[in-house]
Amino acid sequence: MIHPELQDHYELFALGLADEPERSEIREHLNRGCEVCMAEMRKAIGLAALVGAAAEPAAPSPRLRRRILASIGYERRGFGWLLVAAAVALAACFAAVYFSGRENQYAEEATALREQLRRQAIDLTRLNEAFAILAGPETTVTTFGAGPAPPKGKVFVNPSQGVLLIASNLPPAPAGKAYEMWMIPRSGNPAPAGVFQSQADGTAMHIQRGTVDMAATGAVAVTLENEAGAPQPTSTPLIVAPIAGR
Amino acid sequence: MMWLPILLALRMPEGESDLVARLQKRDPQALAELYDRYGRLAFSLILRVVRDAGIAEDLVQETFLRVWNRVQAFEAGKGSIGPWLLAVARNRAIDYLRSTGGRERNALDLEESVHPALASNIEQDLLNSDRIRRVKAAMDKLSPNQRQAIELAYFEGLSQSEMAERMGQPLGTVKTWVRTALRSLRDELGTAVPA
Repeated sequence: MIHPELQDHYELFALGLADEPERSEIREHLNRGCEVCMAEMRKAIGLAALVGAAAEPAAPSPRLRRRILASIGYERRGFGWLLVAAAVALAACFAAVYFSGRENQYAEEATALREQLRRQAIDLTRLNEAFAILAGPETTVTTFGAGPAPPKGKVFVNPSQGVLLIASNLPPAPAGKAYEMWMIPRSGNPAPAGVFQSQADGTAMHIQRGTVDMAATGAVAVTLENEAGAPQPTSTPLIVAPIAGR
Repeated sequence: MMWLPILLALRMPEGESDLVARLQKRDPQALAELYDRYGRLAFSLILRVVRDAGIAEDLVQETFLRVWNRVQAFEAGKGSIGPWLLAVARNRAIDYLRSTGGRERNALDLEESVHPALASNIEQDLLNSDRIRRVKAAMDKLSPNQRQAIELAYFEGLSQSEMAERMGQPLGTVKTWVRTALRSLRDELGTAVPA
């Protein structure tokens, strides 16, 4: 068989479709190195490769490359695992810092909440104490501060509950100073009855728990003293509220 | 974008002689480069045949190992390694199909068609960025029966008798479709397939 007659069979051969006797004919030519058949077969294989290249594109897993190289005993001692380990370590550091920061934040928030709760509990206790004095049937009331500038307010004295002072126009004490309430006896030295601060708006509420000897007490006074308080008044009273004796 | 690796693979004959020389010197890095160039193409082809990604990866591995072990017979001056590798890939896949389908294995033909000495130099001056589109256009020009016959032959490795049975057509009709289709492809892509 001559080459022109084989023309249509090279591609069939390349695809594994060649029939006899052409298949044997081509095989024989190839085995003896026939340049014409070799050239035609290269074209046929090229054509088949084009058909194969038209397959829908797909991607193998990244592991396949390593598998193939490992199968010939070649495994790159690269930085792949090192990079992965470094990335994991870095992520762990970020997580630690992040969660540590969050933990600190939560701790600070918890502290603030606890402080707020503590203040509210104190305020509630004070309000309860104030209410007890206000509601007491034996409570007496004294109003002080008639003019526009001086502190104004009321003093409530209950012989069994204590003294409640409610004031306004009482500016915040200077730094290091505080207001101190005094129980002024009809005779003898004033007795300290606790220090307090006024609010930014000039209001203040102070409670001194305990029994009050109404007969012996002549007045309730307030002076400006050092923040720690003083055993005896050291300044002119800002508030003096006489108490009606029994 | 999925086509990009394929286009790059088929457009990179530069340095191929050097790559083949390094493969023949058993340079493992050269096999890595060969995989980077043709791995996805081989996988796509094999997957089209076997329809199972895991099996396809096994067969891709076999393909590259076969090329690695037989590259000594490859003559870089007479062809390009890509079409040879694709032929090996296709034959590994077809051989797998036949072995699992209980079909007759004509391994001799498959083996002969992938002899390294027959490698085509199809890439070196013809495969360019629109090559895939040209191939697809050429396939689209075939009649449905012709196209099916070519695909059954190429991607399923059916013999013409098996195709006739599968398609429910006389053997002579199928043979005509196959020949007509191959001529048509040759005419459409002929300038792309040098000797």
